Amino acid sequence: MAQQRSLKRVKIFDKVIGYFLLTLLALFFLFPLVYMVSTSLNPDERDIVNKMGSVMAFVPKNISLKNYIGDPDAEDPTKTENQGVIGRMNFGRFMFNSVFIVSCTVLAGLLVNSMLAFGLARFSFKGREVLVSGIVALMIIPFEAIAIPLLWLVNNLGWLDSYQVQIIPFIANPFYIFLFYQFFIQFPKALEEAALIDGASWFKIYWKVALPLSKPILSSVAILHFLMQWGFFLWPLMVTRGEEYRPLPVAMQQFFGQYPRDWGDIMAFASMMTIPVLVLFVILQRHFVNSVKSSGIK
Amino acid sequence: MKKLFFLLLMVLTVTMVLSATVEIDLWFHSGRGAERNVLQDQVVRFNAMQDLVFVNAIQLPEGSYNEQVQAAALANDLPDLLDLDGPNMTNYAWANFIMPLDKYMSVELKNDLLPSIIKQGTYNGKIYALGTFDSGLAIWGNKAYLKKAGVRIPTSVDDAWTKEEFMDALAKLKALPEVDYPLDLMLIESGEWDTYGFSPIFQAFGADLINRETYMTADGVLNGPEAVEAGKWMRSLIEKGYVNRSPANDAALLDGTGALAWTGHWYYNNAKDALGDDLVLIPMPKLGDEDSKYGGQATGMGSWCWGITTNSDHPYAAWLFLRFILRPEEILLMSNANGAVPSRFSAVAMSDLYKEGGALELYVEQADKIAVERPVTPAYPVITLEFSRAIQEILNGTDVQKTLDRAVEEIDWDIEDNNGYPMD
Amino acid sequence: MAYALSKKKKRAVLLFILPGLCLLSMFMILPFLMSFGLSFTNQRLLSRYATEFIGWSNYERLFRDDLFFTGLKNNFVFALIVVPIQTVLALGMAMVVNKHLKGVKIFRTAYFMPTVTTMVVVSVVWTFMYNPQGLINNFMQAITFGNWETVDFLKNSQWAFPAIMLMSIWQGAGFQMLIFLAGLQEIPEILYEAATIDGANKWRKFWNITLPQLRNTTTFVLISTTILALRLFDQIKIMTNGGPNDSTYTVILHLYNSGFSKQRVGYASAITVVFFLIVLAISIVQRLILREEREV
Repeated sequence: MAQQRSLKRVKIFDKVIGYFLLTLLALFFLFPLVYMVSTSLNPDERDIVNKMGSVMAFVPKNISLKNYIGDPDAEDPTKTENQGVIGRMNFGRFMFNSVFIVSCTVLAGLLVNSMLAFGLARFSFKGREVLVSGIVALMIIPFEAIAIPLLWLVNNLGWLDSYQVQIIPFIANPFYIFLFYQFFIQFPKALEEAALIDGASWFKIYWKVALPLSKPILSSVAILHFLMQWGFFLWPLMVTRGEEYRPLPVAMQQFFGQYPRDWGDIMAFASMMTIPVLVLFVILQRHFVNSVKSSGIK
Repeated sequence: MKKLFFLLLMVLTVTMVLSATVEIDLWFHSGRGAERNVLQDQVVRFNAMQDLVFVNAIQLPEGSYNEQVQAAALANDLPDLLDLDGPNMTNYAWANFIMPLDKYMSVELKNDLLPSIIKQGTYNGKIYALGTFDSGLAIWGNKAYLKKAGVRIPTSVDDAWTKEEFMDALAKLKALPEVDYPLDLMLIESGEWDTYGFSPIFQAFGADLINRETYMTADGVLNGPEAVEAGKWMRSLIEKGYVNRSPANDAALLDGTGALAWTGHWYYNNAKDALGDDLVLIPMPKLGDEDSKYGGQATGMGSWCWGITTNSDHPYAAWLFLRFILRPEEILLMSNANGAVPSRFSAVAMSDLYKEGGALELYVEQADKIAVERPVTPAYPVITLEFSRAIQEILNGTDVQKTLDRAVEEIDWDIEDNNGYPMD
Repeated sequence: MAYALSKKKKRAVLLFILPGLCLLSMFMILPFLMSFGLSFTNQRLLSRYATEFIGWSNYERLFRDDLFFTGLKNNFVFALIVVPIQTVLALGMAMVVNKHLKGVKIFRTAYFMPTVTTMVVVSVVWTFMYNPQGLINNFMQAITFGNWETVDFLKNSQWAFPAIMLMSIWQGAGFQMLIFLAGLQEIPEILYEAATIDGANKWRKFWNITLPQLRNTTTFVLISTTILALRLFDQIKIMTNGGPNDSTYTVILHLYNSGFSKQRVGYASAITVVFFLIVLAISIVQRLILREEREV
């Protein structure tokens, strides 16, 4: 009896320690972002700068959405500082462009990259090892290194100022191919052999067997690919003009480079830019939990 | 000349009748709000007042404007009319993607433009770029603080502070309880600002960005003893606590925590709103010897201006818009909005800010007496990049001589790499 | 397994690998080969004059370029410090959020938040916090009871690089945590149950089950973090631009400065090629040490 109680006590102690650690880490990871959001809600630019170093930065004197939607009741609502992000630029258009470009890239990327990885992981053929090593080697080519020849290339294709110029070159990605590859090589051979005996085609095995088992990796890659594409700045800057096809990071730069610098507006822009990714993550995150344990692999 | 002009006009009319409206693209940098609004308004009015030319204006972020222009030039995708930061003109002209404008310019226009506008726009004997305004660089001050600290307020180029007076003023202002850092060097910005705002310091000390006799080397000029002295002096402003190395914004003067702001004309409207009658414009101090190269005192000049690209199909249509915004009354609209020096004498005369006794008249006097143009050479993009880098490093406290030596090495490498940028 | 492929199987292989390979060849390999070619020329971004073949000059110049080696050194230092810390931290976080505690989802989301925030945004926010009057200096003041001397983190050559490292770990750990989490969830519960029956303690379970089972995941995390560390650029460009005193200068920044700002495309191409070879060598060594296990 006493032993049981002490065991229970140990468990509670464990839990307390666990939560303490969790909370401490959460503070570390969240405070800069809370800082960003609370600053964005502070309508008083002077108050922001005065309190930037103190805990009070988290507590704006007044809370308002002025930095987001502007202040129509201001003395002069057309003044830049009273316009808010929405009033200062066509934010909706940039948001649409970003969402559209990134969604297309990620969806096409999931298909193309996982197929290539599947082909490399589940077949043995001559030159496979070379291909795998080659793809690993490609991971290290930084984009900045190929940007100039690539610009020349897409210009010859007549793709400047378009959506496809921001989508097609970024579908296939060695990073994600390698991630899928690492995942697919762990499947037991028996899985596809059974299906083959049943007369299923390889594509069916990929589509009906491999992919459904790959939800965690699909979700991870989707998120990672989304993030990379979402923050892409240099390329759209080089290949697009005007707001028609431009994504958010370029708009952010446009915004940041305007003086006088309005930290409230900048933080509001930053917060709005972060929200869609957060939504996506919350939607996808249950798949990370969806245990593969129950599926009988490994 | 007139004949040619007439011929051109006829050809143009014919082509325009045949093709109805000509559409031209225009790129401009997203600078300060007031500037953008005026230009957008000018485009709308220009498009409405005639139907030969339709201007399609596209705004690009300022931070990487030069990179975007280069990417577009590489892809043969430049617009007809291009907004460009003055000193980059030479590189663009050398690389052959903007064209001379002389053939379009009337004598009357040429004579009416400020000499500094012509100077910044001319390369190899031809005019490649024209601006609707020029810049002014001096010190904005808070009169109340200056009086309280007992500092003399100079009003003209000739009675400007000497270096000793300036340092003394800073020490006195620093002692005021309201003031955190007396001088704001606008260090929140970097890049072209460093070259525009601080190369006059080097020139006042007797140094320069490049040897202007040959334009072939910066050695001995940007890393000579005068340059090192200038760098050390700048660093001392930080060390003595006169300047905040890492300000969070550019508003120290406006919100009363600073007493002086070393910045350009664009600061005027905001400063006037914040300080009202306490706002005073102070000439650039005499930092160096009177018998040094630039007489011990210097300021900047040159600003954003317009060029017509060589791949434009309708250069004359582009010129028509440029001519429109160069009208004195249009220039005035822009100048009133951004506080800049109007680019034509006729506009200066009409300007409340710049006419005799106007609030910004000092800029005209400075432009006349102590303005130094940034080097007119195709190597400018590299010069400014290296100078800006050197300034940032010096302010961080690196070895001044070493830092400048490296800038010189990089600049000389670039010139050598291009065989001295021969024109043909 | 290396028997000859049947025709049908051959077709299947092609179906799977062709779309990806085509895209990779077109948009990565081809531009890279072009870079390789350009590295033997004096190609400029924009010039009045035609490009000339100049042999190995760019390479000779590169080996005399101190800045390149400074960048390389900084990249390695960054990788050597950030990769182990970030990997251990990420694994720890993944194990904590993999526990069946109430509300763990919320914590997981919290840890991942920095990763969903774009680097441009992150850099701007942290620049604000690293300010001498900013949050971090005041925090240090508070926990040292006023003994902390204010530091201008990003303008100080001792502090700038560590400051950027801390921020990078903060931003990147969530990414690795996710990958570890996916790996952890694949480990069958039964292994742990069996070990419990054998009386193994937590530490032994971690050492004998968790780590070996995570081998492939760890390989990927290590290789990818190393590569990302070697490609360090965005935050440097925004926060310090390589300064102060070159303490945060990196190879990619050098590449960017040379190729874009200074328009030396030929020279930048030579940097690309050399850097590629160096990183390739590192990756090969890493892969030799950490061979993944496979079933096919």
